[in-house]
Amino acid sequence: MSVPTILAFDTSAAHCAAALLRAGTIVASAREEMAKGQAERLMPLLEEILAAGGVAWRDLDALAVGIGPGNFTGIRISVACARGLALGLGKPAIGVSTLEAQAFGRIGDTLSLVDARRDQAYAQRFHDGSAQSAPVVGDRASFANGIESCIAPLADTLARIAATRLGTAQPRPAPLYIRAADAAPPRDPAPVILEE
Amino acid sequence: MTLTRTLLGIESSCDDTAAAVVRLKDGKGRVLSSIVASQTELHAAFGGVVPEIAARAHTEKLDTSIQSALDAAQLGFGDLDAIAVTAGPGLIGGVVAGVMCAKGLSAATGLPLIGVNHLAGHALTPRLTDGLAFPYLMLLVSGGHCQFLIAHSATRFERLGGTIDDAPGEAFDKTAKLLGLPQPGGPAVEDAATRGDPERFRFPRPLLDRAGCDMSFSGLKTALLRARDARISDCGGLTVTDRDDLCAGFQRAVRDVLIEKSRRALQQYLEMSPAAPTLAVAGGVAANTAIRTGLETLCDSLGVAFTAPPLRLCTDNAAMIAWAGIELLTAQAVDPATLTARPRWPLDDRAPVLIGSGKKGAKA
Repeated sequence: MSVPTILAFDTSAAHCAAALLRAGTIVASAREEMAKGQAERLMPLLEEILAAGGVAWRDLDALAVGIGPGNFTGIRISVACARGLALGLGKPAIGVSTLEAQAFGRIGDTLSLVDARRDQAYAQRFHDGSAQSAPVVGDRASFANGIESCIAPLADTLARIAATRLGTAQPRPAPLYIRAADAAPPRDPAPVILEE
Repeated sequence: MTLTRTLLGIESSCDDTAAAVVRLKDGKGRVLSSIVASQTELHAAFGGVVPEIAARAHTEKLDTSIQSALDAAQLGFGDLDAIAVTAGPGLIGGVVAGVMCAKGLSAATGLPLIGVNHLAGHALTPRLTDGLAFPYLMLLVSGGHCQFLIAHSATRFERLGGTIDDAPGEAFDKTAKLLGLPQPGGPAVEDAATRGDPERFRFPRPLLDRAGCDMSFSGLKTALLRARDARISDCGGLTVTDRDDLCAGFQRAVRDVLIEKSRRALQQYLEMSPAAPTLAVAGGVAANTAIRTGLETLCDSLGVAFTAPPLRLCTDNAAMIAWAGIELLTAQAVDPATLTARPRWPLDDRAPVLIGSGKKGAKA
């Protein structure tokens, strides 16, 4: 599988993006900006990309999926879909973070940033594309000289990174939330139970 | 009819990730496997289901649950005829995860995909377990829902009434929380109530004085809170006896409302002169012995058969979704438009709206 066929997709932000890697070349790629509707658009878009590349589902060697960080619901749309596809095809789904994709192909030190709203950013340091720290979320002002885009389109990059990992054992793709779920324990304490 | 159909069902609309395989053969449904991965522990600290936590758990449990269901049934995708998935109503994050996983499976395997209404899953379960004939009266009573439905066919449900605010299961959970009992509240409150005096605290029976089958349970919760706080301000806390008596009084009030409203729903249903009149009850609250016994007694007095699916098929599960998919296939009523995840999706869109009549439409 030296030249694997990989379908990559991402809905971790306000877009629906997909790319098909075949024989070392991105043969089809698309990115549609949308604030909502990714759950309805994703599958038709993937079918279109496969058709454009002349590839059937069973021809795929692997799937690459964007795991965020970003919009929680958007990440889940792609990750749940990738897991369903992987189970049905019997082929691996490989999760790749946007932070890693942005550092891919960059020489030297890179601070990769993804907008986290509330004047914050998700951040991770890389050197020659390899992670040097765990991803974190913090005030945007505390991160200087970060990059916020990929060299090539995001979905293309996801496919290329997945190709480098194929052949080694991969965990199932899981969303990279970084932020904990917004939930607080109940405020009112339980009543005191008295001895009788 | 010797038609055989085998479906995978997927359910993720609340706090259970579920997958199941059900087969229709010789006119009978059989559950070949039913996996339910509960998230109860994840939500325990919060005193209720947290939608974001539920959605996160579903996303990472769906595929493994589906694999477990296929393994338990000793089947592969090649043995299936279709995939059925809950497309609403429910917590949208979990529903979206289930629908997207199912869309991926469908594309990968070429199997047709059927979007199922979660409430239809519950309402059609008595046909899987007991082979009930239409029309029957359904009382769906759970942590998220409470309504009376006449099931006319796999696609036509007539709602006679339902709760205008909380569901009874939710009221049981909140009662447990207010009294320091563990979650889920249903079994804990029922257990305490068996030792309590239902006459000591007299709670309201909301809407009993009004005609029709609509119900309300949120006022009952407030009344319980007031009675609790009165005891606490008098004594500095609650004794176990106080707690048991509060539970017994609360459960009696819920039972009285459900029984009286069931009587009215049955009267309406019996006007149709069904050949084999039957009341079926589904949902977690159907497991409450006091409520169930009350319903059985009522049915006996009216000459109506009573049935409740076993608890594992009464609470949220995926076998009911697979079965509803089989029913929709049989009725040739598979609609591609049902494949969009919908947080709100009333079963009977002609009945007046009970809850959530805002711009997003009726909840259920």
